[in-house]
Amino acid sequence: MSDSRPVRLLPAVLLVLALLAYPFIDRWLQAQTVHAVTDAMIYVLLALGLNIVVGYAGMLDLGYAAFFAIGAYTMGLLNSPVLGSPLYGYPWSFWVIIWIAAAVSALLGAVIGAPTLRVRGDYLAIITLAFGEIIPVAIRNMGDITIDIGGWKPVERLNLTGGENGVNPVGRPHLPFVNFDTDFIPWYFLILVIGALSLWAMNRMRDSRLGRAWMAIREDETAADCTGVNPAKTKLLAFALGASFSGFAGSFYAAKLQAITPGAFEFNVSIMLLCMIVLGGMGSLKGVILGGMLITLFDRILLAQLTFFVRWIGRSLDIAALARVDLTLWRWFFFGFGLVIIMLIRPEGLMGRRLRPPAADVDEEEETRALVAAPPRPRADALPGWLREAMAPRRGKPGTPVLEVRGLTRRFGGLVAVSEADLVIPAGGIVGLIGPNGAGKTTVFNLITGLLRPDEGEIRLDGASLVGLRPHAIVSRGIARTFQSIRLFQNMTVLDNVLVGEHCRLHASVAGAVFRPSPVVEEETRARVRARDLLGFVGLGDKAAEMAKNLAYGDQRRLEIARALATEPRLLLLDEPTAGMNPRETDTLTDLIGLLRGELGLAVLLIEHHMEVVMGISDRITVLDYGVRIAEGTPSEIRRNATVIEAYLGKGYEQELVST
Amino acid sequence: MSATELLVLADVHAYYGNIRALKGVSLTVGRGEIVTLIGANGAGKTTTLRTVIGLVRPLRGSVTFNGRRIDRVPTHRIARLGIAQSPEGRHIFAPMTVLENLELGAFARTDRAAVAQDLERVLTLFPRLRDRLAQKGGTLSGGEQQMLAMGRALMAKPEMLLLDEPSMGLSPILVETIFDIIRDISQLGTTILLVEQNARMALRVAQRGYVIQTGRIVLQDSAPALLRSDVVRKVYLGEK
Repeated sequence: MSDSRPVRLLPAVLLVLALLAYPFIDRWLQAQTVHAVTDAMIYVLLALGLNIVVGYAGMLDLGYAAFFAIGAYTMGLLNSPVLGSPLYGYPWSFWVIIWIAAAVSALLGAVIGAPTLRVRGDYLAIITLAFGEIIPVAIRNMGDITIDIGGWKPVERLNLTGGENGVNPVGRPHLPFVNFDTDFIPWYFLILVIGALSLWAMNRMRDSRLGRAWMAIREDETAADCTGVNPAKTKLLAFALGASFSGFAGSFYAAKLQAITPGAFEFNVSIMLLCMIVLGGMGSLKGVILGGMLITLFDRILLAQLTFFVRWIGRSLDIAALARVDLTLWRWFFFGFGLVIIMLIRPEGLMGRRLRPPAADVDEEEETRALVAAPPRPRADALPGWLREAMAPRRGKPGTPVLEVRGLTRRFGGLVAVSEADLVIPAGGIVGLIGPNGAGKTTVFNLITGLLRPDEGEIRLDGASLVGLRPHAIVSRGIARTFQSIRLFQNMTVLDNVLVGEHCRLHASVAGAVFRPSPVVEEETRARVRARDLLGFVGLGDKAAEMAKNLAYGDQRRLEIARALATEPRLLLLDEPTAGMNPRETDTLTDLIGLLRGELGLAVLLIEHHMEVVMGISDRITVLDYGVRIAEGTPSEIRRNATVIEAYLGKGYEQELVST
Repeated sequence: MSATELLVLADVHAYYGNIRALKGVSLTVGRGEIVTLIGANGAGKTTTLRTVIGLVRPLRGSVTFNGRRIDRVPTHRIARLGIAQSPEGRHIFAPMTVLENLELGAFARTDRAAVAQDLERVLTLFPRLRDRLAQKGGTLSGGEQQMLAMGRALMAKPEMLLLDEPSMGLSPILVETIFDIIRDISQLGTTILLVEQNARMALRVAQRGYVIQTGRIVLQDSAPALLRSDVVRKVYLGEK
């Protein structure tokens, strides 16, 4: 990247020069488009803010215009000389209010976000839709507030928002030697600066611990939770930060327009903003800018010009219908039609990442060789040194229990999925958990990792109870897991998947992510080195930049283990790690698990149906059937246990052993 | 082409997504046979099955069923011609009851009396499903879901059944049960094409087998011969 830097910077420099020169060229040409372009930039800023919620965190928000309104009315409320609150008459400075507006929007973003934390998809969309409807109605009705308590009226006919008439006028910003009153150019430069700073901040957020957490939540909330990302906090931050940018946009809008009415913040604004994101490409900053510019400029400039043109044709050809046409009335038709066309041709948006990778042909010879030759064995010397160091002090005395589960019970309705189960995993021990399908093995995993709450029983890690803790908190205490059906963050790179694993061991805050003080830079650099170390260890060193979903099946399983290791666990829970693997891949993975125990003293709890794996590496095995522990013992005891053969292994298992 | 060949794939080339998954696959399944297709992940096993039922269209080559070209026939029509699939990952209808799932398997049929008979036959094959008829599909255990997926496929009374990884994620005892049932289904006269990761079990139940590697058939023989072959023993059975 660094070699090509001058070449890559060239377009950026040209773009900056063009942006700086544009208003003066416009004035020279007397095109009078600066006004419209400035407005377009307001909407682009809004769309960028919404993109944090929708594109990064993957939450469909249909009411984003409400935050636009909140930003605008904060400016109106504090900076207008006409309204009736005690504050009025003392308009505050524009430069102070835009920060207040951003803060108020962020606060309300968090307030609105809080009740929606448990819902996703359709439900979230409906709730945000309602919020988007409530705000304009509230604004309309807050123009005339009277509180009447038995004749006593502490507040009478208070005009807080100007009601349907809105706020007019709103104060302008003041700067020495700059004319904001009659000239559009200072406004253009002001929004350019606000926009550039916002873009800079967003860009840095996206490439930080926080940005990765957002995308992890978008890809798979449960997996993110079980990898140490706090979903509630992460989503609230998305709502709050997304809303804060609309605070800037809204207050700028109010001051520029000099007047605001509730009608400017209706549902169709939210939809138009969503259209900009979808058109440009969800999650892509460049795409959202392009989408926002295209839609607003089409609306503000092209449609008006086209109307003149069509009328001119109508007049020239003497067609009355054409001469009277007003294309701007058809704007929603054109938006809808254009969006349908784009979605048919480029469903990922104009600048979005292509949904499908370019056609790839498998290198057959290499594949065949890889298949026939033994896959690379995991090597002890490839184990990252930092991981050894991180694990060393926490390495318990062999034999002392790491995890103790006593009397664990969980019911689903009338069904008892797990009943009074006991389980002890000693430090550095590998314990197998086997049993028929539906016996409750995965339920035990979900109870230990906090995805489910036990109805009864105790779960202790190093003596401290885990019951009631959320999954991400349990991860940071030292339990990591993999899933039966692989749950990677599909549309993130292999490297980013592992970095999400490190999330709970990193500390960068929002401000840290944006301003990047040296501790944050160091932490991030170290995190990347560590992630690459781990990838090298599991044999994915050369695939760091690939999308997780493009990995072969066995590689995906190994990546999931690398991600789990990145959380620096004391105890690793593996849910059928060799399912769907061929015998050679299975061998490699078995070696890997043994190595983690031998070298790091990692304790492992293993659900597995491949008997050669469980019997081969487990110190002890627990057998569940219908949620009840039916046997516990060493592999050779389990193999001969009549109950286990009856319920799980089957008579054929012994023949199988003889035949191999 | 002899009358005993029920399904014939001749030089089939196909893309799966953007990956050239099949590069000239030819195989035949005779009437009443159990034929297995074994291979590693990503070798093209599932794509082969998807090509047979028309979910993937071959670029080149032909798929013939019962003497009739089906490589351009829509999937739902192929199903009516007598091919049913029990897909990998099962894909049962989770919010519907076991009975409803089974009845949907017979959706395309009009012979209602025979459907009732077949339901009885399926429930005899899978006694566990009989105990769970009123239960929602999604609440079944993994093994029961596999049985339901196979039972549903059989409800279409297919001449030919395609099974994709029926043993995946099942306990050893259930793997045995499932393979016993595959044998029973075959004895009741249904032809079976079986795709499996568990090569040992698959080659024990099948009469013939094909080994697929990166989109090509690299080996084909009778099942006992494949079980003895060096490559299969090393790569697919994990013997050292």
